[in-house]
Amino acid sequence: MTEQIDKALAREYEAGFVSDVESETFEPGLDESVIQRISEMKGEPEWMLEWRLSAFREWLEMEEPDWALVDYPKIDFQAISYYSAPKSMKDKPKSLDEVDPELLRTYEKLGIPLIEQQMLAGIAVDAVFDSVSVVTTFRDKLEEAGVIFCPISEAIKKHPELVKKYLGSVVAKKDNYYAALNCAVFTDGSFVYIPKGTRCPMELSTYFRINEQNTGQFERTLIIADEGSHVSYLEGCTAPQRDENQLHAAVVELVAMDNAEIKYSTVQNWYPGDENGKGGIYNFVTKRGICHTSAKISWTQVETGSAVTWKYPSCILKGDNSVGEFYSVALTRGRQQADTGTKMIHIGKNTKSTIIAKGISAGKSNGSYRGLVRMNPGADGARNFTQCDSLLIGDQCGAHTFPYVESRNPSAIIEHEATTSKVSDEQMFLCRQRGLDPEKAVSMIVNGFCKEVFKELPMEFAVEAGKLLEISLEGSVG
Amino acid sequence: MSEWLESAITRARGINDWLAPKRAHALELLSTTKWPTRKTEAWRYTPLRSVERSTAKVIKDVVALSPVDIAGLSAIELVFVNGKFDASQLTKILPEGLSISLGQTLENAQQAQALNAFSTIKPERHLFGLVNDALAQDVVVVSVAEGVEIAQPIRISSLLSHGAESHTRVQVSLAAGSRLAVIEDVQASGDSLNTAFVEYDVASNAYLEHYRFALQTGTNVAIGGSHFNLHDHAKMHSTIVGFGSDLSRLDTDIIHAGQFADAKLNAMYLLDGKELFDLHATVEHAMPNGTTEENVRCIVADRARAVFNGRIHIHRDAQKTLAELNNRNLLMSNTAEINTKPELEIYADDVKCAHGATVAQIDKQALYYLQTRGVSRSKAQVMLNFGFINELIDLMPNAALAEWIRPIIRERFSQMEVK
Repeated sequence: MTEQIDKALAREYEAGFVSDVESETFEPGLDESVIQRISEMKGEPEWMLEWRLSAFREWLEMEEPDWALVDYPKIDFQAISYYSAPKSMKDKPKSLDEVDPELLRTYEKLGIPLIEQQMLAGIAVDAVFDSVSVVTTFRDKLEEAGVIFCPISEAIKKHPELVKKYLGSVVAKKDNYYAALNCAVFTDGSFVYIPKGTRCPMELSTYFRINEQNTGQFERTLIIADEGSHVSYLEGCTAPQRDENQLHAAVVELVAMDNAEIKYSTVQNWYPGDENGKGGIYNFVTKRGICHTSAKISWTQVETGSAVTWKYPSCILKGDNSVGEFYSVALTRGRQQADTGTKMIHIGKNTKSTIIAKGISAGKSNGSYRGLVRMNPGADGARNFTQCDSLLIGDQCGAHTFPYVESRNPSAIIEHEATTSKVSDEQMFLCRQRGLDPEKAVSMIVNGFCKEVFKELPMEFAVEAGKLLEISLEGSVG
Repeated sequence: MSEWLESAITRARGINDWLAPKRAHALELLSTTKWPTRKTEAWRYTPLRSVERSTAKVIKDVVALSPVDIAGLSAIELVFVNGKFDASQLTKILPEGLSISLGQTLENAQQAQALNAFSTIKPERHLFGLVNDALAQDVVVVSVAEGVEIAQPIRISSLLSHGAESHTRVQVSLAAGSRLAVIEDVQASGDSLNTAFVEYDVASNAYLEHYRFALQTGTNVAIGGSHFNLHDHAKMHSTIVGFGSDLSRLDTDIIHAGQFADAKLNAMYLLDGKELFDLHATVEHAMPNGTTEENVRCIVADRARAVFNGRIHIHRDAQKTLAELNNRNLLMSNTAEINTKPELEIYADDVKCAHGATVAQIDKQALYYLQTRGVSRSKAQVMLNFGFINELIDLMPNAALAEWIRPIIRERFSQMEVK
């Protein structure tokens, strides 16, 4: 039976191709002059450079975290190139017609056409290729609604007051080792501002692609939802199939002002390495949002890629009545390792959080849920519910749960549940008895296991997530 | 490294006895161990300030102390006074098949065996376990012969006078098919510091009934561990009752070293004032077909802090394991704190494992209901608190102990107040 299950889960990495794009890439290495050059390339104001340099100095003093249940060789930060951009982007093409067709073809191959007419209506895309944003679609339409959606390098120049105020306000410069590194060397990413009382007319999406060899990708995303606004944001990512490991250390900051709502969905499909653990992306990401009064932040993630994942999208529930949600499916196969989860910090009164984490481990992989729920003394009437389920497929993998529960308020209620099981012979027998072939049966069981999370994804993403797990989602996408 | 640890190491270097090789090994490990800080995972929520500030000293003078009397309990008494084994208090005539001896008085062959077994069950990583290895004054070796059932429980009491420091160590081995009950108790009267470790080797088909009472409160520092190694078809049933003190830390490790072993652990701790109690319970399923059931309940009042770390580790070969952990906590005040972390680390697929943890307060409606029936608020609160843990007291196999502990717990509840 295990063989059949493996077959059902086996899939080729479809996004593993390399695009033939001429790039301008920095020599590997990291010091203050590299940061100055990045800042120069981006034409950044002085304050931004200062900010980067101070983060870099903090980083030099910090130690690499070692508490996660992941094992990888020490990263040589001097062997990484910190900037790479297609040459054609140097002249800053003004419209899609001027963009290198090879770049457009890359995204088309990945299923993300950047020509607006060809796109699914209702999604605006910011396409980030290595260190630069290639194009951001539907900007005019968004501007009509007052929504700012642009590469962060552009926002630094055009909206310095917003960037200055919020950049680093949720994830401090020295929050952790990789966040500090990101502050020093981030190259591009998306910036979103939704004005007061506005419901963003379309889904916003950023698609990250690593193409160049020996580079790291350090993107920075900042989303600000002003009072009473609403936005749904999607993030996708892929990389070519290579024998070397590449580092991806991103920082995402969300600010939800009073009564605002941010829905952030990720389908993470970085190259996971081959079945022997050769190659793949190290995905060391810091994602955090702050909720003001009655605001809501919802994180949904489907993690299928990366050789090593270290990622804890979190919510700081500062305002009274604010809500944090975390829905996650993490699939590890081959020799992948994922240590992922969330932090819910309850500060305001009557704050609520829900955590649903599903882990599926197959092959020789290891998947861990690591989460923190903290009730501060002021969090009267706060509520948390956490459910972590793990599914083990095969006897060479591992599934782990490390939940930290800290309460300092007697009126707060916390519930945590975790279970671990496997696809049982009985379940398989029942499905097969009903005429399903084994592959379909596994698909169905795994799909049912993940259903609670998939139903939180926007439609298009749910489809992609389903494809990634090679599972038919018929009739189960809500 | 802290001054306290440095002085402990210096003192330990002066000891030369039958345990010399083990002590040397512990000292070697200690010399490379970092003094825990908030960043040390095993001591994340438990600061060691009270150890660093402790003024407790080893007391060499003979002091007369005897364990509390428990009505209806006829136990074989094994008493340490300020860390020294008190042979005069040992029950004179031991049942056949049971032997209790001081390590240094054992005959050569037995001593070599005891030396071999020393510190093999307790995990090496425990800082204070290493301190105990290096400093334990008297090591007592208890063994039960094959197939023998000992009807009377053994009570290991560690008694400390004011300001005393003690390090006690007992090694218990149950041969195949034997049965034994052991009660571990520490009684201290303030400003004391003790480490008390017991290792149990439970051979195939043997049964161990175990109790650990950590009821010393106030300005005492109490750090200890009970460590169990279960062979094929071995069974254990353990009950832990703890009150906090300046610093109370207890580690239990249950190792399923054989197949079809069965472990039950019921722990309850009730904290008040500024007390701190930290329970680290680890279960290692190294072999297939084992079962574990853990129930941990905790009530925290006033400014007390409770820490629980419940780790279940299923090794690659431990197929068909059933393991469950249930952790429920009640917070009674705005200044109290609960930090709990139930962990699962699973490397085998055909297992059933689950854990659950909840933190809440006494149900206000239940409190109100009882008050409408004429029960005073404080009495109602005691009743509800009692209801929360009574189930675990009922599960104590020894009725005399259950009857003894009930009023002690009731008294504690009546001092706690909902704030």
